[in-house]
Amino acid sequence: MKLKILFSTLIAIVVVMTSGSTFAIETDGMNQASESYIAKKETLTAIEYLQFMQKSYKELNYELLYLNSLQSQVEPKQLIHGVVDDQEIAYFRFLNGAMRESLQYSGKISYFEQGTQAYTLESTLNRSVFANIANFDYEKGQDSYEYIILGKGRIAGKQAIAIRMISKDEYRYSYIVWLDVDSYLPLRLDTLNKSNLILDQVMVVSLLISEKVSPWLDKLSKQQLPQLLNLPQASQKEKSEWAINWLPTGFNVVRNDQHKLVMHNNEPVSYIMLNDGIVSVSIYISAKKITLDEKQKVIQRGATVLYTYQKGDIEINIIGDIPVVTAKRLIESISKVK
Amino acid sequence: MKDNNEQLSTLIDNEIIDHEVCESQLLDELITNKRQQAQFSRYHLVGDVMRGEVVDQFINIDISQQVMARIEKQAESAQVVTPDTPVYAMKESNNIVSFAKRFSQYAIAASVAGIVVLTSIVTSQPGIENNEPGIEVLNTVPFGGAVAPVSLQASHMQSKQAIKEHNERLDALLKDHQLQLQTQP
Repeated sequence: MKLKILFSTLIAIVVVMTSGSTFAIETDGMNQASESYIAKKETLTAIEYLQFMQKSYKELNYELLYLNSLQSQVEPKQLIHGVVDDQEIAYFRFLNGAMRESLQYSGKISYFEQGTQAYTLESTLNRSVFANIANFDYEKGQDSYEYIILGKGRIAGKQAIAIRMISKDEYRYSYIVWLDVDSYLPLRLDTLNKSNLILDQVMVVSLLISEKVSPWLDKLSKQQLPQLLNLPQASQKEKSEWAINWLPTGFNVVRNDQHKLVMHNNEPVSYIMLNDGIVSVSIYISAKKITLDEKQKVIQRGATVLYTYQKGDIEINIIGDIPVVTAKRLIESISKVK
Repeated sequence: MKDNNEQLSTLIDNEIIDHEVCESQLLDELITNKRQQAQFSRYHLVGDVMRGEVVDQFINIDISQQVMARIEKQAESAQVVTPDTPVYAMKESNNIVSFAKRFSQYAIAASVAGIVVLTSIVTSQPGIENNEPGIEVLNTVPFGGAVAPVSLQASHMQSKQAIKEHNERLDALLKDHQLQLQTQP
């Protein structure tokens, strides 16, 4: 009798544990996953899945229709990716509302929008939807994240496997990445805060993979691009007069300069950009223009935070997809270089 | 006018039978009114075309004269407006000025995380991320939305103008952030 009670509590504990940790995954999917995992010893590890995903995202010809949901707003978008002459080409557009399109090819990205003149910027970094997780160095990223296979499910009609990237500390968000089991292409990406609340979600609803590059992309690759615009570079050689004395694990300073806000009266700002391979954080240090009632202000939308802090004559603004705690600690660590 | 046209049309089609008074009135008007005459001849033309009684060259809907007249007029006014400023001067500054303008719209909307700043303030959301007092969490709306780009709450101490300026600045910072992301090394 005692044994029976013990047994049932054990089951209860297991149930509680699974429901606690799986988070939005059907339990039958979970069972499936563990079964197949046991059945196939040669199954890939989480990091191998993620690395295969990176390869597929860069090398395959595919078309994704996806939804981007952010604070109860859903925006349908399309991405067509291909490889032309060994070079990646990506065409992106919004499917609803005004026409907004972009094309990234051979180190340049062009923007087209209804009613405004198109323009091109130099940009070597892939800017498409899953680019941040597709460019991440997962080997190195083990310092800041743990990768765990959560289970299997079905997304966009495909068998999918969910992998969780759990931040090892509170200074960055965690992610759940869903991959197509056959092609390893990403199908869904959830950005979670430390209370497991989804802040931002990208979900593919249709995935088409083709042998050959889409004729549309082939045609676009031969088109002439709109005029190339250059950023005002003049002041960028000078370093900012500020130093960050604390960085969350994995983050590096990738930019440190003084430039002008072209969008705001050419106001001069000291600028530092941090990057950890997944997110970029901008830090602006400038003279205080208007004194706020509070010393600090936080504006948040989805995963993005805008943190304003005023101290003496100085105003510091931090923008990026990081938790508020991180922004706060970064600000505390800023000091003037002598 | 419409009525008259109708009468004209029935007149041409010989469908006015017993309204002689009406007919003579109409004819009188036709003799005096130039517009009616033009209409009358057009109706005849239409009728002819429909009956296939027209040889091609008879249809002379001649717009060329009008077009020429317009062009002349435009050339005249264009000459008057032509500025003395040399064209190259404009081109030089073009690249950056228009850049700020152009960039301001799309690049934000394109980004997954584009924030824009808004009207109403939402007070601290306890339990989510920050429980610290003094930090307000503002609810924000993306660029495409119908909300005016204003943000921080107008607490009585601060003038509306100051807040507006501050928000414009935040907006500019967000755009610059997007821009920096685009051109990230």
